[in-house]
Amino acid sequence: MLKPSFNDLLKSSFRSILKNKSRTVLTSLGIIIGVTSVILLTSIGNGLKKYITDQFDSLGANSIYVSPGKVFNDNGGFAQGGVSSMMTTSFTQKDYSFLKRKIKNAEIIPASAVFANISSSFSTQKNIEIDGSTENFGVINNIEPSAGNGRWFTEEENNKKTPVIILGYQIAQDLFPKSSAVGKKVIVKGKTLKVIGVSDKKGSSFGGPSLDKQAYIPIEVAYDLSGKTDIQSIIVKVKNKDLIETTKKEITDIMLDRYDDKDAFSVFDSSQLLSSINSIISMLTIGLTGIAAISLVVGGIGIMNIMLVSVTERTREIGLRKAVGAYPRAILIQFLIEAVILSCIGGGVGILFGYLGTLAIKPFFPAQVTISSVILAFGVSSIVGIVFGVAPARKASKLSPIEALRYE
Amino acid sequence: MTKSSSLNNSKVILELKSVTKTYITGASQFNALDNASLKIHQGEFVSITGPSGSGKSTLMHIIGLLDNPTSGEVLLEGRDIAKLKEHQLAQIRNITLGFVFQQFNLLPKTSSLENVLLPLLYSDVPKKDRQKIGINLLIKVGLEDKFNNTPAQLSGGQQQRVAIARALVNNPKIILADEPTGNLDSKSGEEIMKFFHQLNEKEGRTIVFVTHDMDLAKQANRTIVIKDGKISEEKYA
Repeated sequence: MLKPSFNDLLKSSFRSILKNKSRTVLTSLGIIIGVTSVILLTSIGNGLKKYITDQFDSLGANSIYVSPGKVFNDNGGFAQGGVSSMMTTSFTQKDYSFLKRKIKNAEIIPASAVFANISSSFSTQKNIEIDGSTENFGVINNIEPSAGNGRWFTEEENNKKTPVIILGYQIAQDLFPKSSAVGKKVIVKGKTLKVIGVSDKKGSSFGGPSLDKQAYIPIEVAYDLSGKTDIQSIIVKVKNKDLIETTKKEITDIMLDRYDDKDAFSVFDSSQLLSSINSIISMLTIGLTGIAAISLVVGGIGIMNIMLVSVTERTREIGLRKAVGAYPRAILIQFLIEAVILSCIGGGVGILFGYLGTLAIKPFFPAQVTISSVILAFGVSSIVGIVFGVAPARKASKLSPIEALRYE
Repeated sequence: MTKSSSLNNSKVILELKSVTKTYITGASQFNALDNASLKIHQGEFVSITGPSGSGKSTLMHIIGLLDNPTSGEVLLEGRDIAKLKEHQLAQIRNITLGFVFQQFNLLPKTSSLENVLLPLLYSDVPKKDRQKIGINLLIKVGLEDKFNNTPAQLSGGQQQRVAIARALVNNPKIILADEPTGNLDSKSGEEIMKFFHQLNEKEGRTIVFVTHDMDLAKQANRTIVIKDGKISEEKYA
């Protein structure tokens, strides 16, 4: 049986901690700062993940993306050079028509991007990504102009190579700052295109290229502009979620037949893309949290320091306790508990501050406190208390009673 | 039959056999205790006296199991304490011995009652009984109205009485007091000594106290005089 009982130990530890209130606050400050930053960073990381998940849900649900080159590595992260390979290699028209013929019950939408300057009577926007695609591309990617801002192009316009363009929100602002862009004319590679719509403001999702700075044209027009009929990616839109896996398999088989190299193309859906992005965010969050955790270590050293001071200050008390029957372990546990309480006070206050901080930034940035981060922060701070409390507690438990009693 | 001979017939509670305690500072050696042997019987009231630096505190620490002898044997109720582990010694100090110090050594900012109860934290006494034991002892030492006072709110004599109550809390067989009146005015000192006498006579507790004051030492049944680490004479009252 533990003598003194755990309750008695807690009571006496709290009492000695409360005897030095300002010292307790200052000592816990290191842990408070550490835990606050850990909570804040994980909140931001988690919020970001949720935000992106929501974005993806609103975006390409039920869509399968077929890209040339290897986009993902075997661990589900992005392959090295994977994204850039999407830009430099392409599918041919044959790939597209082949898929279109073989895959039933799905819409096959090709996309071919042109990078070019767009000029209006007001300004020229340089090197803009202009995506050429079909009449369904707008709906699938949720970039259709909303009512009052024009419209997407039709199948007929695509087939007839009608020179029309839909501008992203920002690009429309830049080209036509004074009035609505709809109905105006722009010049791309010497060709005059009529603006028939402006997409709603999307913002930059996760540091990637902003959809607001892109423009969209019928793919047949894009072929004319680039002089090539390459296709950079193919979107396969299935009727419902359950078809995603089987259709992906189908596409993979077809493409393997054609290329005989599984690294020559990639077939993925948004969930895969999402998990890749999430794994990047997780890495970032872990990295940043790790840096923040350094301050926990610093806080722990602060606790060790003050506990060593406390042991010295209370040398006579330790001597007395030993003289009246405290065995070394009882002293050890007493000081250890004090250290753990100090760091847990720090942890608790830190969690509170982290929570308040998260609430404070919520209006400006997606952030979300998770139970797991709270548990983690609390666990880490108690471990810090134990680890950094051991040395002072051992010192206390090893004091010789007579020397301790003689201590002035 | 004299009192001393009757004591000699009673049980030996503590025995030192040729105990030597050597302190080494640098190259020089110093024997704080030099081949000291003594017996303390149950129910005795013994004083240890001698000039300062004579080794009386060292002797007290060894009797109190707070320090180990360099050589020789210490037998407490027949048990050789050299063979005991640290936590066993702590247990004996807790149950068998009660300490009273010159500096009182009460925990600051802690009530009298809690100071008295301190040794019980390390004992097997059930929690529900503790409060009552402490209160009874404080009443016994005449501090029935000072349960919640902290040491800073008590006079020296009152503090020492709290310390005596603390020493008694586990009902020890031996009370060890190191200059218990050293920090007190003469009147408080007398009261404390009177209290020790009562404990000895009425309750039959063995009391060993250290003092440099020869007059005080004479109040004991037996006085052990120590000089340069050697027990030079034993006088019976």
